[in-house]
Amino acid sequence: MDFVLQFENICKEYRSFWSRRHFRALDNFNLQVEKGEIFGFLGPNGAGKTTAIHLAMGFMRPSSGSGRLLGERFGHSGTRRRVGFLPENVALYPRRAETLVRFYGALNGMKGTQLDRRAGQVLEMVGLQDDCKRNVSRFSRGMLQRVGLAQALMNDPELLILDEPTSALDPLARVTVRELLLAARAAGKTIFLSSHLLSEVEMVCDRVAVLHRGKLVRLGKTTELLQVGERAEIAARGIDARSFPGAVAEDGRVRFYVPAREQRAAMERVWSLGGEIISVNPERRSLEEIFLEVTADSGAHRAEHMS
Amino acid sequence: MKPVLLIAVNFVREQRWAILVLLLWVLVLAFLGLATGAGQQREDLLFVFKQVALYVVAFSVFFGSSAIFNDRRSRRILSVLSKSVGRRQYLSGLVLGISMACGIYGFALGLTGSWTLGEAGFPASQVWFLMLCLVVACTLAGSVALMFSTFMNPFFAAGATAAAMALPAMIGYTTRSPTWEYVIPVYQLAATVLRSSFDSPGTPVWSPILWAIAETVAIWLLSVRIFSYVDIAVSVE
Repeated sequence: MDFVLQFENICKEYRSFWSRRHFRALDNFNLQVEKGEIFGFLGPNGAGKTTAIHLAMGFMRPSSGSGRLLGERFGHSGTRRRVGFLPENVALYPRRAETLVRFYGALNGMKGTQLDRRAGQVLEMVGLQDDCKRNVSRFSRGMLQRVGLAQALMNDPELLILDEPTSALDPLARVTVRELLLAARAAGKTIFLSSHLLSEVEMVCDRVAVLHRGKLVRLGKTTELLQVGERAEIAARGIDARSFPGAVAEDGRVRFYVPAREQRAAMERVWSLGGEIISVNPERRSLEEIFLEVTADSGAHRAEHMS
Repeated sequence: MKPVLLIAVNFVREQRWAILVLLLWVLVLAFLGLATGAGQQREDLLFVFKQVALYVVAFSVFFGSSAIFNDRRSRRILSVLSKSVGRRQYLSGLVLGISMACGIYGFALGLTGSWTLGEAGFPASQVWFLMLCLVVACTLAGSVALMFSTFMNPFFAAGATAAAMALPAMIGYTTRSPTWEYVIPVYQLAATVLRSSFDSPGTPVWSPILWAIAETVAIWLLSVRIFSYVDIAVSVE
């Protein structure tokens, strides 16, 4: 299996310089991201997501354990030429957007016409072609995030590591970013996406991991995680709700669940009662429900910390 | 090499207002010197020249001690080091940037010093030698400050740099042993500027310059070693 990002038994502790207190941000963390997938990395605030990303980028060293980024140990600067990174809080030098993306491209070894052409391309991709001559210090947070995304895309990376890429974006820009991510996957790129926007993650990610208090608490294919069991939800109209046990009537529709193996029989019964089927869906949960379930004690934990 | 140059130019650009104010100060003093008659008050002119020359050593310490801190506090360092830029290249860029900033100042001071002091009879070649001493001293002082700032906050890094530069010189002075001045030869290079006069402009002595360059490289290597262990994404507040 081709892994582009691997965390192997990684622990990361933050220690206070003056006191003996320490905080374990990652605890024996293991994860493998496969080539060509969009991987969703979820967790409540303080779960250790950004720490994991910073370790992968070589901004910090693990307290124990190791990891590999595109086959090389974390911190190998040459490998970062093949990686695009968007930090959680985009902080950029106060330059014109065009100058800035060219600067970051040049840091990655790009030059000449390739640099000029790519700078124009990425600014157009993020919808900033009309603002490319403006100084980014006058940009809104959403526009800054788009410049951040542009600089991450400059080197046409094999792996994109995005920490909250859509948090400051308006719905239209979010759609643009989503399309960008899907296009990148179609082109064979891998995307490691940390986000709090669960609906976004649900829509684009092939696999999802949930981190909680530095530990991996859930990992799997998005479709499998969302699938609850062997039941189907049937929505119909023109029938009495009392015809099916547990059925609920609302807005002229009747909704009920049946075991998947009885789905066909239930549909035939609706028709025999003179009703009409509106939809049949396998029972699913939202990512939000799963997230809340696995991080259920985080609220109590936070309150404990604050007290 | 290109990333180093890009980081250096970026550093100079970030410090452009401080550099411009320094340049303006040099120009104003030069015009005042010319206007008041360089030939008649030449000792005063040389005194002001030396004083203005030594300011930049202090500025190089400030540049060096705050460079990493500013980038970490603003989190701009993440965007730079997320590219194929190693920490060694990043530090090299900052050292080169400090050197360039001080070089610009040294060049402006050398140019104006050649006019004003030249008018008063001071050899222009000696002015340029003194400027070379100054820029080398600044690069070394900036490197020491940068080294301390890899693990200290800028205030303490500046203090530690001042102590590291002053202590060997003080020991050398009290023990009358000139060898101590070579420990960190910033004082020795600065003293070359301070001791110059119209009567004895002095002959260029290269050993402190070469020693300072060698020390700059050694301190840069030490900085790289220390900085490779630093968690740069951790808040510096």
